[in-house]
Amino acid sequence: MANLKPGSQNTRKKVQVSMVICEAEEKRHRSGVNALQLDPALDRLYSAGRDSIIRVYEHERFLHGMEHHTDWVNDIVLCCGGRHLISASSDTTVKVWNAHKGFCMSTLRTHKDYVKALAYAKDREQVASAGLDKSIYLWDINTLTALTASNNTVTTSSLIGSKESIYSLAMNPSGSIIVSGSTEKALRLWDPRTCAKLFKLKGHADNVKALVVSRDGTLCLSGSSDGSIKLWNLGNQRNILTIRVHTDSVWALLATESFSHVISGGRDKKVIMTDLKNTSNSVVVCVEEAPVLKMCFTADQQAVWVSTSDSNIRCWKLPTDKHFKDEAKMPTTPVSLIPGGAAIRQAVVLNDKRHILTKDAQENVAVYDVLRARKVEDLGQVNFQEELKNRFKMVYVPNWFNVDLKTGMLTIHLGQDEVDCFSAWVSARDAGIRDTPEPDHKVNYGKLLLQALFEHWRGVETDPENRLYFMKLGGRTLYRVLVGDTSGDTENALLNETVPNWVISNIIEENCTNKFIKVQFYLQPHSSVPSHLLKQDRLKKPDRLVANDFIQCRKVAEHILEKLLGDGTASSPGGGDADSSTPSNNGYNVDQIELTCNEQVLDPSMDLRTVKHFIWKSSSDLTLYYKIINK
Amino acid sequence: MGANISQLERDIGSEQFPCNEHYFGLVNFGNTCYSNSVLQALYFCKPFRDKVLEYKAKNKRTKETLLTCLADLFHSIATQKKKVGSIAPKKFIARLRKEKEEFDNYMQQDAHEFLNFLINHISEIILAERQQNSTTNNIKSKAAGENGTTHTSPEPTWVHEIFQGILTSETRRGLFDLQVDIEQNTSITHCLRCFSNTETLCSDNKFKCDNCSSYQEAQKRMRVKKLPMILALHLKRFKYMEQYNRHIKVSHRVVFPLELRLFNTSDDALNPDRLYDLVAVVIHCGSGPNRGHYISIVKSHGFWLLFDDDQVDKIDASTIEDFYGLTADTQKSSETGYILFYQSRESL
Repeated sequence: MANLKPGSQNTRKKVQVSMVICEAEEKRHRSGVNALQLDPALDRLYSAGRDSIIRVYEHERFLHGMEHHTDWVNDIVLCCGGRHLISASSDTTVKVWNAHKGFCMSTLRTHKDYVKALAYAKDREQVASAGLDKSIYLWDINTLTALTASNNTVTTSSLIGSKESIYSLAMNPSGSIIVSGSTEKALRLWDPRTCAKLFKLKGHADNVKALVVSRDGTLCLSGSSDGSIKLWNLGNQRNILTIRVHTDSVWALLATESFSHVISGGRDKKVIMTDLKNTSNSVVVCVEEAPVLKMCFTADQQAVWVSTSDSNIRCWKLPTDKHFKDEAKMPTTPVSLIPGGAAIRQAVVLNDKRHILTKDAQENVAVYDVLRARKVEDLGQVNFQEELKNRFKMVYVPNWFNVDLKTGMLTIHLGQDEVDCFSAWVSARDAGIRDTPEPDHKVNYGKLLLQALFEHWRGVETDPENRLYFMKLGGRTLYRVLVGDTSGDTENALLNETVPNWVISNIIEENCTNKFIKVQFYLQPHSSVPSHLLKQDRLKKPDRLVANDFIQCRKVAEHILEKLLGDGTASSPGGGDADSSTPSNNGYNVDQIELTCNEQVLDPSMDLRTVKHFIWKSSSDLTLYYKIINK
Repeated sequence: MGANISQLERDIGSEQFPCNEHYFGLVNFGNTCYSNSVLQALYFCKPFRDKVLEYKAKNKRTKETLLTCLADLFHSIATQKKKVGSIAPKKFIARLRKEKEEFDNYMQQDAHEFLNFLINHISEIILAERQQNSTTNNIKSKAAGENGTTHTSPEPTWVHEIFQGILTSETRRGLFDLQVDIEQNTSITHCLRCFSNTETLCSDNKFKCDNCSSYQEAQKRMRVKKLPMILALHLKRFKYMEQYNRHIKVSHRVVFPLELRLFNTSDDALNPDRLYDLVAVVIHCGSGPNRGHYISIVKSHGFWLLFDDDQVDKIDASTIEDFYGLTADTQKSSETGYILFYQSRESL
């Protein structure tokens, strides 16, 4: 892989590890489809979108997925006669792909923010990329495809002058003109051959999100969030036409080869074809089920593929003269459909901090196990809130990961922000681990997951899973790999460079840098406890005790029995493992010690962090009262 | 010092000297002017003073908190036999140093940080005390509810009633003061307008879209939805300069009027026409945030007083202009308005 320079970037920010939980092969788009490209020679449709995967359909059948981006893919361009594909993503990279074989050839990391748009000049095999960093870069595709691991530097020209985020870009095939659309509410033009800034066209009242330039570079169409489409004469820098056929933002545009008609789509879910010689003459091509994001012509230009913020891609017949003359009605069903999958829209981490309840766009509820990185239950279309309520357990385990749904799949981030990846200690019994010396042995969720993710890299033989993980540094992806691939030679070398130290020191070197989490608390005798039983004067301020957060109330009761009521020296419970089987010499046993917190009786099996979280409900030091009951 | 105090009484004149009013300076315990200046300004924000004294009267003997110390201090000023003089806020400062590590030293502190801490801390104390009083009654009902995760936003305290305004943008935010960026040779009104200009949330500050679960650029416009009784305006005079790796004082001249009306209110604001009067100003003198000196000027019974630690002087209203700032950026040191306290006319 080219351009991988993990060490050279800002090292102040902590590197995080992220894992996407997905199927072995994600055949369907999980979420909105932002980009479409057609290869007429092979009858292949390329589609890419919010789930970060570029998919290839041959004769409308899924061929393969192209996975390497780690965030939304915002635009794609098919070039070199269909041999290569260029993609632009919110992961801030532009990637170059071998389109026929479907692998990523190189990654360009020049942009500093989401890359939103690409433009292609076919005759010159030149591509331009632009995005929210206000920059436009011009790339020579023949240079890009010649990049190798050792020769991975590429020079680019940049088009300067943009003052705000760029959302759309267009070039004519000969590459004599390039237009950008931005939140400046204006179009900016350059000559890509000289990189000279030409002029600016004002007139839109909001962001310009779609652009088309005519073959000769004399005309330009722009679609805006202000709901209008404008036709511009680039020769005299004039706005010739303003078309208002949509009731909301215009997000996608296509023009017929002769620039006689414009096809537009947008937030109002409609695709409309308008005659540019008589703009009152327009026909609704289709009404989609979600806002329209992109369109592309079929090979014969008689129909269009339409993608939306939903995951389905449909092909609709375009109107002919008859339809424009109102002599025929438009069909209400699409010519064909490439069905999409359902994106996960809602995710709630259950109290055990291991299972996640999810609901997808089709209202299906499922349960995922983060530790095993897979779906464990499909519940169908049940009531999400009801299911959450039913699965409520009064246990508290500290947070150790963050969940993200931007790709429509579950992404688990470890080591992000303030969340301590190693904060969750649970007993092996609760974690369902059987082959352990003792059921009370404590395991750490974060450590278990990281060990599982990196086991191939470390040469431990287990089933090759297809989970993915990647590293981020201040939001930028450093490296991405399939979990099953981590033992490969190239991957191994790259991993040795990229795996952050906090992971290595915790999973490889078995030095216990991950310490148990402590809870501080006070123990107070209830007024019913006879004072002669107390070793300490009850009026004296109680000592502050410290214990591991997973210590159960039973252990605290044992401590009370032995240290506060019996003979012995006071120490904190759970610090040294007291033998609980021996009856105390004061004649009472553990079952007779009743602990309360906020006047609520505590179950002996409840741990201190659960008491603190669900009963004490305060960040201040916990106070527990104890009394002796007759059993 | 004695001569000076009697000078103040002479300046005001025994006839004009308001009854039931005391003008007492506060002794400096080594760089504690950041606290003295803010305490004086707050003392002369009448609604605040009244509530603190009321708290003192109601809470006979409780655990010492920063609020009880403040109440004791205000009470002690208000019940002095003499009309003028100076007082040592010893207990308050000692408590403050215990409560917050950052203040537990002899360094100069940021008066705004102190004000912010004090107001938030007091409201927390009141909420905690209120909770304690009601805990005994609530326990049984709480224990009955299995989930026990009831999210009821607490009733506002009198601190909220006095200082809290509500800003509206994508998300509603309640806060105790408005922090405004300043520009050279402008007015507070101009700075407030800029504050409410449309802002684009971009780069590291993108907006999380609920629809697509991802971070996207968005436009935000801050407007005031609820106008507070006392409007505390914090002029951002200490700006972090990357090239120096420290905060630099911005001495820009910003005119603050004696009367103020807010124009950056939202369409659904509850009380958009509130008219405010300037009642107190905390002034920073010097060249940087961690050096220099803080004083305050307050309006009391129609005339203006300047409190400089234990010194109190009557000043002419026209003197206020001296604290607008400097038109030339050449001079480093300046005496400039830093926190402005405007009180709503209805509550005067």
